[in-house]
Amino acid sequence: MKIADLLGKIDRRIIFIVLTVVIVIPLISPIGFVGRLSPRVHDLFKAIDELKPSNKPLLISVDFDPQSMPELYPMLVSILRHSFARNVRVIVMGLWVTGVGLGEEALTTVGQEYQKEYGKDYVFLGWKPGVSAVVLGMGRSIKETFSTDYYGKPIDSFPMMAGVNNYRDIPLLVTLSAGDPGFNTVWLPYAQARFGVRVGTGVTAVSAADAYPYLQTGQLVGLIDGMKGASEYELLVEKAGYSEAFKPASQAMDSQSLAHLAIMILIVLGNVGYFLARRKK
Amino acid sequence: MQQRIPLAICFIVGIVMIVQFFIPHRLSEQTFDLAVKWIRIITAFALVLGVRSITFRSIEKIKRQKKDWFYSIFTLLGLVITSVIGLGWGVKAGTPLRTIYNNIMVPLGATMFSILAYYMASAAYRAFRARTREATLLLIAAFIVMLGKVPLGTAISGKLPDLADWVLNVPNMAAKRAILFGVALGMIATSLKIILGIERGWLGGRRR
Repeated sequence: MKIADLLGKIDRRIIFIVLTVVIVIPLISPIGFVGRLSPRVHDLFKAIDELKPSNKPLLISVDFDPQSMPELYPMLVSILRHSFARNVRVIVMGLWVTGVGLGEEALTTVGQEYQKEYGKDYVFLGWKPGVSAVVLGMGRSIKETFSTDYYGKPIDSFPMMAGVNNYRDIPLLVTLSAGDPGFNTVWLPYAQARFGVRVGTGVTAVSAADAYPYLQTGQLVGLIDGMKGASEYELLVEKAGYSEAFKPASQAMDSQSLAHLAIMILIVLGNVGYFLARRKK
Repeated sequence: MQQRIPLAICFIVGIVMIVQFFIPHRLSEQTFDLAVKWIRIITAFALVLGVRSITFRSIEKIKRQKKDWFYSIFTLLGLVITSVIGLGWGVKAGTPLRTIYNNIMVPLGATMFSILAYYMASAAYRAFRARTREATLLLIAAFIVMLGKVPLGTAISGKLPDLADWVLNVPNMAAKRAILFGVALGMIATSLKIILGIERGWLGGRRR
C-alpha cells in the first residue's frame, strides 16, 4: 500500500484503539498536566465565595442527565462543597426529570460529608413539569410553584425557607445545563431578564461557545466550561482549603489533553495523505 | 368553527400577554400569575397525553409488525415496569426505581455520550481536510481551540489559551451574536404570525 493511502485511509478500528489507549493510560497513571485558571471560572467561584452564611440561599438547578454527567457532575459536587464549607445554605432543583437522581445523590453525599442538616442547611425541590412556567412562577412565588419538596414535605416546614419567597430572596442562581432547557433558553430570558436574578452557569464544552455572548453582556456572572472548567473549580475549592476530596475532573484532564492531541495528529496524518495523493494526480 | 375558536383564543391570549408585560399593574400581575398556573396545569395534562400517545403508537406498531416493531416491546416494558415500581415504591434514594436509574440509566447514558467521542475522532480524521482556504482557516481555528482548552496547550505555550479565548471571544462571538439576533427577530415574526392567525400550522391547517 502506498504511503498516501496508508495515511489517508487509516482504519477506524485503529483510531478507536489509539483513542482508548490515550484515554485509559492517564486514568491509571496520571501525568499531572497543570492548566491555567480562566477568569470565567474564577468569577463564578468569587460570586459564590462572597455569599455569606447569613445571606439567603444559593439556588442550584441541575439541568443535565447521565449523558453529560462526566462533565457537569464534578461541577455540582465542587459547588456544593464550596457552599457547605462556607455554611452557605443551598436549594437544589432541576428542569430535567432524568437529572433529578443525580441532584439528590450529590446533595445527600456532600451534605453528609459536611454534616449538614436537611431543611436547615439544604433543601431539595426536585422537578416539576412546565419548564418556563416553573421558572416564571418562581419569580412570583417559590412556595406556590413548589408547595412541597421532593419528599412531599411542605416547603413552609423548613427553617431555611423562612423569608424565601421569590428570586428577590435568591442572591445567586447557578444552572448546570447540558442543553435545552438550560441557561440560555430558560434561565436567562425568564429569570435573569425578567426578574433580575444573578445567574452563573456550568456547561458542557461543546455548548460553551453559546455562553460567551452572555458573559460579555454581564448577564452571566461566571462560567464553568466543560471538564477543564470543572477541574479549575475543583482546584480553586482545594486551594481555598474547602475540600481535600478526590478531584475526578482534574484527573480526567490528562486523558482529555492526550485525546485532543491524538485527534490532532490523526487530522494532520489525514491531510498529509490527502496532499500526497493530490500531488500524484 | 373548529378553526375560528382556537384562533380567537390564541389572538386574545397572545395580545393580553404582550400587553400585561408592559403594564406594571396589579391586574396585569394577577393575569400573569393565572397564565403561569394554567401553563403548568396544561403541561401536566400534556404529559398524560404523551404517555397515552406513545403507548398506543407502540401497541399499533407491534400489532402491524411495522419496521423495528420489536423495539416497541422494550418501550412498553420500560414504561410499565418503571411506572409500576415508581408508583408502588416511590422515587426517592434507596427505592427500586433508583436502583434501575443508577444501574441502567446512568451507565447507558454515559456510554452513549462516550461513544460519541470515538465517532467524532473518526469523523474529524476523515472530514477535516484542508481542501480550500476556508477549510484551512477552520482547521487552524479548531487546532488553536482544541489545544488552548486543555492543560497540554498551556504546557506547549502560555499564549495558546489566550489565543483560544480570542477565537471564542471575537470571531465566534460576532457570529453567535448575529445568529442570536436573527433567531430573536425570526421568533418575533413567527409569534406575530401565529397570534394574528397568518401561520396556522399549529392547527394542522394551511397558511392563509
